[in-house]
Amino acid sequence: MFFHMLRQSFLEGRKRKILAAVTVALAATLITTLFTISLDVGDKMAREMKSYGSNIRVVPKSEAVPLRIGGVDYNPLKGRDYLDEADLPKMKDIFWRNNIVGLAPTLRTPVRLGEEKAVSLIGTYFDKPMPLPDDPDYRTGVRQTSGFWSVDGAWPQDDASDQALVGVTLAGRLGLTKGATVSVVDEATGTSRSFTVSGLLTTGGVEDDAVVVPLAVVQEMAGLAGKVAEVEISALTIPENELSTKARRDTEKLSTAEYDTWYCTAYVSSIAHQIEEAVVNASARPIWQVAAGEGAVIGKIQALLLVVGLAAFVSAAMGVSSMMNTTITERAREIGLMKALGAAGGEIYLLFLGEAVIVGGIGGLVGWGLGLGLAQGVGLMVFGSTVTIAWVSGPLVVLVSIAMALAGSALPARAITALMPVEVLHGRR
Amino acid sequence: MTLRLLVKSLLGPTSKIGVALASLAVGAAVVSALTSLYLDISIKMSEELRAFGANFMVAPLAGEAEAGAPPTVRGMATERLEAAIASVPADRLVGASPYLYGLVRLDLGNAVMVGVDFPGLRRLSPYWQVEGSWIGVAFDDRNAMIGRRLAESMALKVGDGVTLLNRAEGQQTRVTIKGIIDAGDQEDDQIFVALPLAQRLLGLAGRADFAMLSVVAQGPEADALAATMTREFPDVSARPIRKISQSDGQILGKIDGLMALVAATILVITTLCVNATLTAMVARRTPEIGLQKALGADNRAIVAQVLAETTLICLVGVVLGLVIGYGLAQVLGQAVFNAWVTFRPVVIPLTLGVSLVAALIAAVLPVRGAVRVAPARVLRGE
Repeated sequence: MFFHMLRQSFLEGRKRKILAAVTVALAATLITTLFTISLDVGDKMAREMKSYGSNIRVVPKSEAVPLRIGGVDYNPLKGRDYLDEADLPKMKDIFWRNNIVGLAPTLRTPVRLGEEKAVSLIGTYFDKPMPLPDDPDYRTGVRQTSGFWSVDGAWPQDDASDQALVGVTLAGRLGLTKGATVSVVDEATGTSRSFTVSGLLTTGGVEDDAVVVPLAVVQEMAGLAGKVAEVEISALTIPENELSTKARRDTEKLSTAEYDTWYCTAYVSSIAHQIEEAVVNASARPIWQVAAGEGAVIGKIQALLLVVGLAAFVSAAMGVSSMMNTTITERAREIGLMKALGAAGGEIYLLFLGEAVIVGGIGGLVGWGLGLGLAQGVGLMVFGSTVTIAWVSGPLVVLVSIAMALAGSALPARAITALMPVEVLHGRR
Repeated sequence: MTLRLLVKSLLGPTSKIGVALASLAVGAAVVSALTSLYLDISIKMSEELRAFGANFMVAPLAGEAEAGAPPTVRGMATERLEAAIASVPADRLVGASPYLYGLVRLDLGNAVMVGVDFPGLRRLSPYWQVEGSWIGVAFDDRNAMIGRRLAESMALKVGDGVTLLNRAEGQQTRVTIKGIIDAGDQEDDQIFVALPLAQRLLGLAGRADFAMLSVVAQGPEADALAATMTREFPDVSARPIRKISQSDGQILGKIDGLMALVAATILVITTLCVNATLTAMVARRTPEIGLQKALGADNRAIVAQVLAETTLICLVGVVLGLVIGYGLAQVLGQAVFNAWVTFRPVVIPLTLGVSLVAALIAAVLPVRGAVRVAPARVLRGE
């Protein structure tokens, strides 16, 4: 009997039911879209934040106190410690290897350039192939780690030994342009070399006053084959929290469980820790300017999406509820008749709730499908990449939709079942 | 007559005006709150991005220092730097500090000493991880802050005393380490003292090498600011720090895009929800319309009546919604940015427009149905 009544009600009031289901579906679309995007936005924004440059710096553990003022080195090169270039792949072979977006080593040596003394000659990777056991095509260099470097002209080839980038400030002072030739003399070893200026480099940092060439060239000129002075690593990390702050103060004080959680979470501090474990004489430190800044901003964006999502959710829920409310109050007469024919209040109540579950369920499913599509659209438009789908959103959204429909039905249904059949049938309510 | 019909239909017993009004008001509230928030987001996020530190540098014009000047008058007068800093609008300037570098001998070896304005530095470097505490005042000449690596190599802890000695000038002083800095950058190898102390130790009274600024401006905006400052102060070179200012612009673009899309999605869906309610409301009045037609109302009169009704409800709903929405925007602003959201008049016509369009679209379908109503059938109760 119950199912018969349910079917009847759907067949009779088809149009209204469809309208209600469409409303639920729209709300569900909205919820799915926001949910999917907010889950992925941290990761997506972390990738965008890579434009601020690398967030971990690796230097030799026993490096003497560097006396560097404004990019000029006051310490002699002799007796300094270096990292081995051969150790670089190990840094990409840690637990969080997939979070390491790129790495770029540097080695600098003071050179004379015409009249100018103590100009930094910086050697680095631009976009160099660095085959790894599980990724033979891996390429890395400053073009990945320092997205803010801007080159007017062409980037040098990593295997060419006669191309160089010249910082804009230096170039302006010496009147150098693209295609000019510069010759430099190493102040310590006396080796000289000449380069073709392939492009002018603007970074807003010390590189503006320096000459940047492939790493191998500097190693050869300074007589430091296979050595690098420091490595900048760009890693995808999650914002710091209490646990990582505790770990940063003293790893020893963590309990075993806390240590495991910390170690297996992509905090900038735990990634730095794992790099130190992988390379024996390395000291890896977060560049807090980038690491902490990222955390602050990503946290804000997530909070923003969350509150916007909540506001939208409330308004959608109200829309659905009022819709259900309307469809039920309209059927007062029908209900009066049912009661007059002997239906108990509970049965009628159940009938409405059953309807709400069906309408909510169908609307939720349709809305979920639409929402996934919409989320992909947003991802492609804003970030140029697809959004990862969290399948848990499916049951979640359907449940929420049913709850919204039920919430909208419960109150009016109760009010109506309480009516006297006579009053309703007579047209007085 | 029309007026009476209107009043009657809006206040009559069968009208469910409350429901429609509520849903329109909620819709308008969300529209206006989101619009307010969206209009403010660029400036708010830009302030958040200041967590990345200084994005602007003001230095003496290159070459001035070398122009035959003795080393004792290196850098430039701090008054000139301060005047240049003061030319940045106060509501745009987050923090600023002059920097004066010099080599000093500590107990265990040489180190780079930096003279700074501590209150300004604190706002420039919110990302510093400090053990111990910050130095709060600009003229503290008994305390210093030291970089983590320098502290480790000199075996210094918070609370230790250390002597700063400058042989060339024959100046020395003893300071207490108040905080150890973890920045992950060159600051880890430097020791920071108050600017007046550094000037005295280095024999460079009233001078500084350059100043760093944290300004709410990104990309082209920062370039424009630099150009203005260089024009006003011909003896300084002002330039944005590309790493920060350029990236700020890029990130803000993404956030703007994301918010615009999310807001658009929400607007469309809220509109449709309001729509559904209104559709149901008009549809319910079919019998009444039938009766009116039977009594001689023509189609045009009925259309006009439904539209006038919708508009009236919409107006009331929007007024309610604007009030609620303003409150909602403040709640959102406080929740996310701990700041009030500015009220912008443009929100009013925008919300009104969106809501009216939504309501009128909602009215079109049922009105079409209503004019087709055959009075006889309706009156018979079909």
